[in-house]
Amino acid sequence: MPAKVIVRDLRKHYGGVHAADGVSFEVQDGEIFGLLGPNGAGKTTSVECVVGLREPDTGYIEVSGIDARQRPGDVKQKIGAALQTTSLQDKITPREALRVFGAFYRNRAEPQALLERFSLAEKADAPFDTLSGGQRQRLALALAFVNNPELIFLDEPTTGLDPLSRRDLHGEIARMKQGGHTVMLTTHNIEEAERLCDRIAIIDHGRIVASGAPHELIALSAAAPTVFLATTQPLDSGLLNRLPGVHDVTSEGPGYRFSTAHVTRTLAELMKLLEARGIEIGELRVQKATLEDVLIELTREGRE
Amino acid sequence: MTDSSFDGMREQFGIGFRLYFRNKMGMFYGYLFPAIFLLAFRVLYRYEPIPMARHMGQLLTVTILGGTCLGMPTTMVSERERGVWRRYRLTPASMSSLVTSAVVVRYFIAITAGLLQLALALCIGMPLPKHPLELWLAFTFVAFAFLGLGLVIAAMADNVPTVQALGQCIFLPMLIIGGVAVPLESLPDWAQHVSAFFPGRYAVACLQACINGIGTGASGFDFLALVLIGLAGFVSGAWMFRWDAQQRFASRGKGWLTVVIASWVAVGVMAEVRGGISSSPPAQPRPARIAAPASVPLMAAPAAAPAETAKSESAPVVPAPHGTDQDALHQSKTWQEVTIAEINHNVDFRKLPPDGDVVTPIARPGLDAPPEMQEQLNALAVALQDWPPGTVEDPVQRVRNLMYVAAVPDVLEMEILESYVPLLVFDRVKQDIPKEDLIRILFWIAAHPSDGDDSAARQVEDLGLGKAPADLADVRERVTLYSLKLLGRLIGKIQEK
Repeated sequence: MPAKVIVRDLRKHYGGVHAADGVSFEVQDGEIFGLLGPNGAGKTTSVECVVGLREPDTGYIEVSGIDARQRPGDVKQKIGAALQTTSLQDKITPREALRVFGAFYRNRAEPQALLERFSLAEKADAPFDTLSGGQRQRLALALAFVNNPELIFLDEPTTGLDPLSRRDLHGEIARMKQGGHTVMLTTHNIEEAERLCDRIAIIDHGRIVASGAPHELIALSAAAPTVFLATTQPLDSGLLNRLPGVHDVTSEGPGYRFSTAHVTRTLAELMKLLEARGIEIGELRVQKATLEDVLIELTREGRE
Repeated sequence: MTDSSFDGMREQFGIGFRLYFRNKMGMFYGYLFPAIFLLAFRVLYRYEPIPMARHMGQLLTVTILGGTCLGMPTTMVSERERGVWRRYRLTPASMSSLVTSAVVVRYFIAITAGLLQLALALCIGMPLPKHPLELWLAFTFVAFAFLGLGLVIAAMADNVPTVQALGQCIFLPMLIIGGVAVPLESLPDWAQHVSAFFPGRYAVACLQACINGIGTGASGFDFLALVLIGLAGFVSGAWMFRWDAQQRFASRGKGWLTVVIASWVAVGVMAEVRGGISSSPPAQPRPARIAAPASVPLMAAPAAAPAETAKSESAPVVPAPHGTDQDALHQSKTWQEVTIAEINHNVDFRKLPPDGDVVTPIARPGLDAPPEMQEQLNALAVALQDWPPGTVEDPVQRVRNLMYVAAVPDVLEMEILESYVPLLVFDRVKQDIPKEDLIRILFWIAAHPSDGDDSAARQVEDLGLGKAPADLADVRERVTLYSLKLLGRLIGKIQEK
């Protein structure tokens, strides 16, 4: 099946700043694709070029098989988008907004159904300037659905939301996928990306520096797994340093944290050591590399 | 246009209208402000015989200007600043459809505000416009010109305060020297030439022609000017349009601004080439009250205004300091003794205010009064025949009384009318008093400005010419001036142009 979004060598600069410097990626049909990166990495510029808010300097963009730079109007008929912040006229109500925005599309969703789906029924006739941040964000999402889109773009969708609203929104994004929609989102929130996305592209300084499924990206990490150990009796850290593959032993709270290149061998030797000395384990945790480690590694490289 | 773009434009138009009516400030500026403006004009021109008929063109122009050059760009820039337009850009809506709906909304708001103003004017006595359909047409052309201008302002301004500043830069000059708030005939010559470069002049002219004139028939150039200015505004406004507050005006091609300015200049130059920019002899600023002794070209210094019933025959006439002819210097004891030599010696007719001046104006003979005044002037000519103060036995008092009929409208600043009434009065006294006697009487009145009974000034109101002010000093002064103006005509010292 052809990719839902194809971006090739996208470039956009503002003065001397290269916000997008040869960005290329593909989004497959039915997946949630995340563009992850630190602030100012070029996520929003890239997405805004794809959805037609900005005209790129060069590059090829294809959405649902349509050349987005040649036929932006046709692309807009097929996509829905929610920006980082959505502002509407102060006195427009959610019901009116859904009706007005829906009227621009050939394929229109029923406003009442959207109000209910995004928990806005109670506020359907309230002016926009009386809505809370969470309600405005839900309205922004509802507006992205007024045309029953094949593809949804979400730019930093949970920025500024309280934890409860963020959780609700995560649930909604997951339901989008279940409903057969393809979703592309930008975020700098690693947990959000790892939790929601089937695939992630890490962008830094306007370039894609890595892409793949979250576990694939983690596997790319050069960071060694870490072990946290707390014992019921005191343990000399020097003993830990002598275990095979162990390095970077540090004291942390009631125990020690260390890295190892060979988790199984290290743990086997550790058990023997503790048993021999009659020391009981209070807590033992093994932690593999995280997406955060990957992001920091990849973006630190760019900065260095 | 596809169904969805038409639907979108229709919905956008509908919501634009509804949102406007939810905005209290918009309602104030859109509807209440024009109503207040109308009432202010009514107070200002309260003595005009047909209320507001001569000023509706000005008022409607102010209303359209406010809604299109201030109201529309304020809304557009405010929404752009807040990112509303950016959200619309995510939809398949084209810039042209969104701008069209915004412009159409403003047009209809302007139409309703104009209708409200017209309705109010009708309530206070203005007759129905003579050419209502043509008035709508003219209104549409005016709105077109100013909406184009509004789009340019919206494109240029980065924020709402800039809109206000830019709007006022256009609004105020147009009001003051552009022939919108201040009538062209009241402006000095240079200002009338400047006004030819502003669209406000053409807006007022074509609207006014439909209200009490001959309709659009003679407004061809006005329409052309409005179309040119509007077209330049729309094309430039569309090219300079900005969806996003982050797009700066500087990067959108200032060249289009040149197109707008060029259209104004072209219209002004064409108007100059056509000629007829000055609508009437240049008028001088109207003083609150002219200084009588300095302005009366007699060497007589009128005494302070007497009681209304004063009948003194002894007001001083100061001998000419430069005079040498003892006969001429002789002060006649009665009006019958006045001689031409005495008149010639004592009066310098060159010092009289010109007929085109704001003080004691006199219309040029043969120049027809505006149609809406013709009927009133005809009725006044008839009424003057039997007006009781104009039939008193004493010929001096009779002439003095009739001169009050010319003087009171002048003091009340009853524009246009004040310049035609003196002609009727002159005809009336010439018809009543033999020329030789009239010459002597007019000089006598001018030489004795404080004499006689001035109760007739109070009865001018019965002729529908307004109520004389409590202090009659100005009225008496105008009686003197009009008497001298008629005197000059009778003895050939003043040539009627």
